[in-house]
Amino acid sequence: MKPVLLGFKMPGELPHNATVNLLARVDGPGHPEARPASSRIERVIQRLAPVDTGWRGAPASLALVGLITIVGQWIRPVIGASNLGILYMLAVIFSALYWGRRVVILSAVSSAVLLDFFFVPPYRSFVADDLWYTITLIGLLTVGLLVSILTVTAKEEARAARQREAQTAALYSFTTSLAEASRLDQVLDAIAHHVPETFHRAIVVLLPGTCGLTVRFRSPELVFDEYENVAAAWVVETGQEAGCGTRQFPGARIRYRPLKTYQGVVGVVGILANHPKELLSIDQQQLLGTFMNQAALAVTRADLAEKAWRAEMLQETDKLQKALLNSISHNLRTPITSVVGVLHSLLEDGVLFDAPTRQHLLETAQDEALKLNRLVQNLLDMSRLEGGAIHVKREPCDVHDVIGAALEQIGEPARKRPISITIAPDLPLVPMDQVLIVQVLVNLTDNALKYSALDTPIEIEARQSHARLQVRVADRGQGIPEEHLARVFEKFFRSSSPDAPRGAGLGLSICKGFVDAHDGQIWAERRMTGGTEVAFSLPLEVER
Amino acid sequence: MSETGPRVLVVDDEAGIRRVLHASLAAHGYSVREASTGEEALQVVPAFRPDIIILDLGLPGVGGAQVTSSLRDWTQTPIIILSVQGEESTKIAALDAGADDYLTKPFGAGELLARIRAALRRVSQPEGEPVFVTNELTVDLSERVVRLRGEEVLLTPTEFSLLKAFVVHANRLLTHRQLVREVWGGAHYEDSQHLLRVNISNLRRKLEAEPARPHYIITEPGVGYRFRAPGHAASIASGH
Repeated sequence: MKPVLLGFKMPGELPHNATVNLLARVDGPGHPEARPASSRIERVIQRLAPVDTGWRGAPASLALVGLITIVGQWIRPVIGASNLGILYMLAVIFSALYWGRRVVILSAVSSAVLLDFFFVPPYRSFVADDLWYTITLIGLLTVGLLVSILTVTAKEEARAARQREAQTAALYSFTTSLAEASRLDQVLDAIAHHVPETFHRAIVVLLPGTCGLTVRFRSPELVFDEYENVAAAWVVETGQEAGCGTRQFPGARIRYRPLKTYQGVVGVVGILANHPKELLSIDQQQLLGTFMNQAALAVTRADLAEKAWRAEMLQETDKLQKALLNSISHNLRTPITSVVGVLHSLLEDGVLFDAPTRQHLLETAQDEALKLNRLVQNLLDMSRLEGGAIHVKREPCDVHDVIGAALEQIGEPARKRPISITIAPDLPLVPMDQVLIVQVLVNLTDNALKYSALDTPIEIEARQSHARLQVRVADRGQGIPEEHLARVFEKFFRSSSPDAPRGAGLGLSICKGFVDAHDGQIWAERRMTGGTEVAFSLPLEVER
Repeated sequence: MSETGPRVLVVDDEAGIRRVLHASLAAHGYSVREASTGEEALQVVPAFRPDIIILDLGLPGVGGAQVTSSLRDWTQTPIIILSVQGEESTKIAALDAGADDYLTKPFGAGELLARIRAALRRVSQPEGEPVFVTNELTVDLSERVVRLRGEEVLLTPTEFSLLKAFVVHANRLLTHRQLVREVWGGAHYEDSQHLLRVNISNLRRKLEAEPARPHYIITEPGVGYRFRAPGHAASIASGH
């Protein structure tokens, strides 16, 4: 329904703005531009008075009246002059339904004049009974204006209903997005998406952070300069609106609203206005207020969630550190105690021992010292991993080479046990840091040897699967309980029964760290036939 | 203790390690001299004229790799590097600079003594046969014939050059770079890396009963390879 503006204007016409505005509102809530902030009285008048839509429809209305006059000439002998008044009334009602006040008046006056001229004796003259003429005119005008008022009211109500519906839908959609957002960036995404979409304005969202007020979202077309920043900061400080159209920072192009909760101001949202005349309408401001309340609550909620998460992380870190200290002190002291014990005995009472006993004691001390060395190596690897000091030096490696080097490094224990090695014949060279992956295989094989009976075989298999190298190390030991499978790669996690050998719980987490550094995957499974299988996969191609 | 045995210079900044090495080496008849820094080592070498040098990699000041390259400017005295795990790049630098071997701390005295003996044998037997024989493997360098358990093994020219480099430096650790230099002339180290791996893999397939548990060609992860030949110490003439 686009207003057709005719070339002539009447003096004393209402501001042109109001007309366009109302039509726009009938169209729906899609065009918020150019809507003045109207006072309540104005709104009441608008609702009670027929709407002035200028002279739009005037020619059509006159044509209609003219048509009735021509037709009236033909049918007057049949229906009589008085009934012709009804036909003119229909023309006036028709005008009232579709056009504005001026056209209604025009059609009523022209109807009365033509009725008098053509159909009231003496014909083709304006001489008539004054009373009759007045009654006809008043009757036509009253009916026309009443119908016009009723039509406008009905249209206004329909428009209001549609607008309420649209606002409710927008608000519903916004609150749904906010409810789904658990993190601050998701809350910001929801604001950045819904506010411009609903209000058709560029916006800026600022949140106070550790380093002052920072812009967290800004529509690309919005310019945010230092003056605007000061205005936004003032809003955070005072909790009051500022910027365009207010007394504070009236020179700003943006209108700022605080995001307020019971905790105070949690942020600022700025809506681009450019000019005080282009501010949002009352309805829209009310809706925006609701949006802001919801947004403020969501920001607070996300903030609290983040704080809770941080607190939990701190607690977790604290727990980890305690576990680390316990584990380290236990695992370091045990071998040291053995070594010191052996050395002490030999120093003090060396002469009391026979040669085999002495030999046995020394071997024990040596084993414990080597265990200590492995633990120190694991701790160093762990700290290198956590400190980000692991640099993967990828070189094309032969899998035979890697498995062979790992078994060589394990040495004696690997030679005592039956180990079956299956390597797919067509495996290409695989890019990897040989030192790290050998270490992974050493740890996995060492675990398999430790946690299975002495006479049971160990299986090592390497093959290609989905453009990845997959290596699995399997034993026939007790196996890891189902519920622990996912946790065995956690630091300090131990899933062994009390009689199994104790470890520091670092080996597998280091394996995971090294494999992760290669963009690989590592996982543990229970074997159908009993025992544990730990497998890892590495990409065959490395993206550069 | 004998003052006439082979002279060993032990360079380490840790007094405890020097003491232990001194004791066990002296007990095996070596004549030992200690140095606690790289500078001291460089000063001592011309006067002491050691037969072998045990050199800690992580010395304060002038490091082990630097000492190695300084020494290699004028002497071929065997150098055995002592390193800890995690020093791979410096270790490779020292080996590329001319160190003969390395041991990772902690190590047993037995292992150190074995490495020292092997290194000393290599320098004391520069002349040797053009035929390399060990258990089941025979490599005739002049005839270019390789036999495994009496059967001839057919090798490509590259595989043969690689095997030749190995048997010439039997038991000695060869870095990737050194092998590439021996076989391909070393001009394009980065490109030849891949070729080296492939040829090692092929050579293993032809010589080893179980390539994943090699008997001859031993991998030193991240560093290089060592051709294991018990009882041999480069007993044949170098072709270079």
